[in-house]
Amino acid sequence: MKVVHNWLKEYLGEQLPDAKTVEDLLNLHAFEIDGVEEKAGETVIDVDVLPNRSSDCLCHRGIARELATILDVQMEYDPLASVPQFSGTDAIKVSVADSSACPRFTASLITGIQVGESPSWLQSRLQALGQRPINNIVDATNYVMYAIGQPLHAYDADLFPKVDGAWQFDVRYAQPGETVSLLAEGGKEEDRIVELTGTELLIVDGSSDTPIGLAGVKGGRYAGVHAATKNIIIEAAHFHPTLTRKTARRLGIVIDASKRFENEPSRELPPFGQQEIIKLITDIAGGKCEGVLDEYLESTTNPQVTVTQKKTNALLGLQLTIQDIAQLIQRTGSSVELSADSLVAQGPFERSDLHIEEDFIEEVGRLYGLDKITSVVPDATQIATINTRQYYTEKIRQCLFTLGFSEVVTTSFHKKGKIQLQNALASDKSYMRSNLSKNLHAALDVNFSHTDMLGLRDVRVFEIGTVFAKSDTAITEHLSLALGVRTKGNGFTAPDERILVGACDALEETLSTSLAWEKEKGVAELNLSTVIDSMPAPTKYDDLPVQDPVVFKAVSLYPAISRDIALWVPAGVSALEVANQLNASAGDLRLRTDLFDEFTKEEKTSYAFRMVFQASDRTLTDEEVAQIMEDVYQTARTKNWEVR
Amino acid sequence: MQIPTGHQHPLTRMIAEINDIFSKIGFEFAEGPEAELETYNFDRLNVPKDHPSRDMQDTFWFKSTDVSAPTVLRTHTSSVQARYMEQNEPPIKIIVPGKVFRNEATDATHEAQFYQLEGLYVDQGVHMGHLKGTLEYFFSEFFSGKTEVRFRPSFFPFVEPGVEVDMKLLEGESKLAGKWIEVMGAGMVHPNLLKVAGIDSEKYSGIAFGMGIDRLGVMKYGVEDVRDYYTGDLRFVNQF
Repeated sequence: MKVVHNWLKEYLGEQLPDAKTVEDLLNLHAFEIDGVEEKAGETVIDVDVLPNRSSDCLCHRGIARELATILDVQMEYDPLASVPQFSGTDAIKVSVADSSACPRFTASLITGIQVGESPSWLQSRLQALGQRPINNIVDATNYVMYAIGQPLHAYDADLFPKVDGAWQFDVRYAQPGETVSLLAEGGKEEDRIVELTGTELLIVDGSSDTPIGLAGVKGGRYAGVHAATKNIIIEAAHFHPTLTRKTARRLGIVIDASKRFENEPSRELPPFGQQEIIKLITDIAGGKCEGVLDEYLESTTNPQVTVTQKKTNALLGLQLTIQDIAQLIQRTGSSVELSADSLVAQGPFERSDLHIEEDFIEEVGRLYGLDKITSVVPDATQIATINTRQYYTEKIRQCLFTLGFSEVVTTSFHKKGKIQLQNALASDKSYMRSNLSKNLHAALDVNFSHTDMLGLRDVRVFEIGTVFAKSDTAITEHLSLALGVRTKGNGFTAPDERILVGACDALEETLSTSLAWEKEKGVAELNLSTVIDSMPAPTKYDDLPVQDPVVFKAVSLYPAISRDIALWVPAGVSALEVANQLNASAGDLRLRTDLFDEFTKEEKTSYAFRMVFQASDRTLTDEEVAQIMEDVYQTARTKNWEVR
Repeated sequence: MQIPTGHQHPLTRMIAEINDIFSKIGFEFAEGPEAELETYNFDRLNVPKDHPSRDMQDTFWFKSTDVSAPTVLRTHTSSVQARYMEQNEPPIKIIVPGKVFRNEATDATHEAQFYQLEGLYVDQGVHMGHLKGTLEYFFSEFFSGKTEVRFRPSFFPFVEPGVEVDMKLLEGESKLAGKWIEVMGAGMVHPNLLKVAGIDSEKYSGIAFGMGIDRLGVMKYGVEDVRDYYTGDLRFVNQF
């Protein structure tokens, strides 16, 4: 919710703190701040209103009320302070087919207005919110929505045919196949014609049974306000939030009005919307209100909730008196009846989130200050149960690391398979994996081309993860273990099998049990859940192996180039010493240096190193690497090492 | 020539560390299925029937022809809270590290699959101070330096009060040191969760917290793209 800082002054006057203080107060006591910008000469604060407060805080009055609560001050002007009183009208009638879908419908008639541009203060406030001013009537409906959270719609009364001398609105469900024309979406020229399924709620012109808007979701151009409009009808209603959300989602419509209806603003709100807009329009466009229709079919009231001192302190870990608690709750605008060690609270009508004791306790906590909660340092405690899965999988991992196997964690989604998701992310991710072997084969392929970069002669990988299967009535799953070996670039060869068998045997020995592997082309897999189920219950986790400090560097997307260098050095000069010298002259583009051969003959030792080069921002050329190697040779020569 | 030792994937390494840290203060390692019944993933966690997170865009659903009860890929490890409380009496003190899934577009900070850490502690007299103390202990151990925690108001259907948790590493050379970083959601277990599990909410209270392990790795190691965890690329894994 974008909030214009100056707008809040309407409600808080000189009590409004500067924008930075507003941010800090909201952040620590109410809502996170997503950002702040200067726009159209205004400071605009983007407030991430929480889902349970989207019914009352998706508007400037709501945010101002929240600030008044946090600061413990009275609002200077509260548009929701007292229930509006209107004279009724017989000129507008409404017929609502389902009162639970539309529990309240109000409409006002304003005559003798003059359509024109909005005053500049109004235009700049809308522009600060990213809205394009249209004319004073349409702008006023938008303004009131951003001010108090009630969406409104204006019709040209003279373009709206009457029935028996009255304007007739109907609110009914669509018929399957019926269409409605909706206002063009941002940037588009043509209105959108939407075909309906029958679950959508419509606003209908009763004179001809013509759908003129999707209730709560979006309006149409029907009887739209234009430059010569003189008399207008303003609609302000309450529509069922779930119904609104479903229709809006299905049609992919997310606009500020539908967002507000979806979050169930109070049913008490529509008359306040009328009061605000009648005041604003008669101010900026002239005219006179002839009366307001208010069809209130189903009302709700906030519950009375008992809040005890005991429970409040028990959950928050504080020592508040019941008087403290009462004062904090009263700051929210709730009514409070105090007893000895408890109170009965009722939230103000616009707050739909205060239903149970814990809801009020949350208010107490955030207003008192969550920073005043003192940490309880946990005691050292023995655990009674060791997780067998965690225990044995760690044991298996440690065994495989000593055999040179590294662990991968791969995607649970496959392109093909037996278990298809109802709603996949992409066509190549629409099935759940039923084995790990497939991903492991892919990992062997990918990694074999990187052995130089990895300083490895062969690739050994394993994964421990969940795989899925189907029974008659459910999706089943188990933990699987798979390991794979690749020693040659052209695919599976006999040496792969020898290493794999060695690893499988080592695991049998580690676990002291026989294992039923399924082997295929250098990859072995087994059902680890059944293995672990048959293992004895462990009594203590093994100590965590010590890990060297990690210096992580993002993997470069550009290819690497390898060069080998072999040289004679006097016996007694260590490989590390030689490598350090070579590396120093090779510079920053060197990724790694690996010793791959070493032998000593008489007084001399031969070392062979593979040096790998890679840039993080480009593909290296052979010439660049040749130049680097020339520097490396030069260093060797100055040390009197004989390059072979 | 000696075979170089293999490398542990950072996610399972972090899970082992997390388990080591929490086991010392009595939290047991619990688990649950990745293919989860809708009821444990949503209903019993007080997520209303028409809550937006049940919409197709956030949750992966299995085909109704494959299952007798609506089944999803769990969207959080919180589902294990519901399962565990149903089967166990307080005191309950568990952590649940595990894979979860969200039907969301992926980028450097979002993956459709990631690991989450859930924590749950239900007993008599458990309050927000225990939550704060437990998390300060955990982060101080995990990031190897004294860490402070602060709460800000937030909302999750399964807790009330609900808070957003920020941490600040008070010492050391790490890039994290000296600033508040948002790390997780937490709060007091919503009484509806206790009731549906048959636990007396007048007698018992609980703390619950949940955070992304992938993101802990971003903070701890400086991983820049969370999709790298799942590529099977040893150029990534072998740095750990």
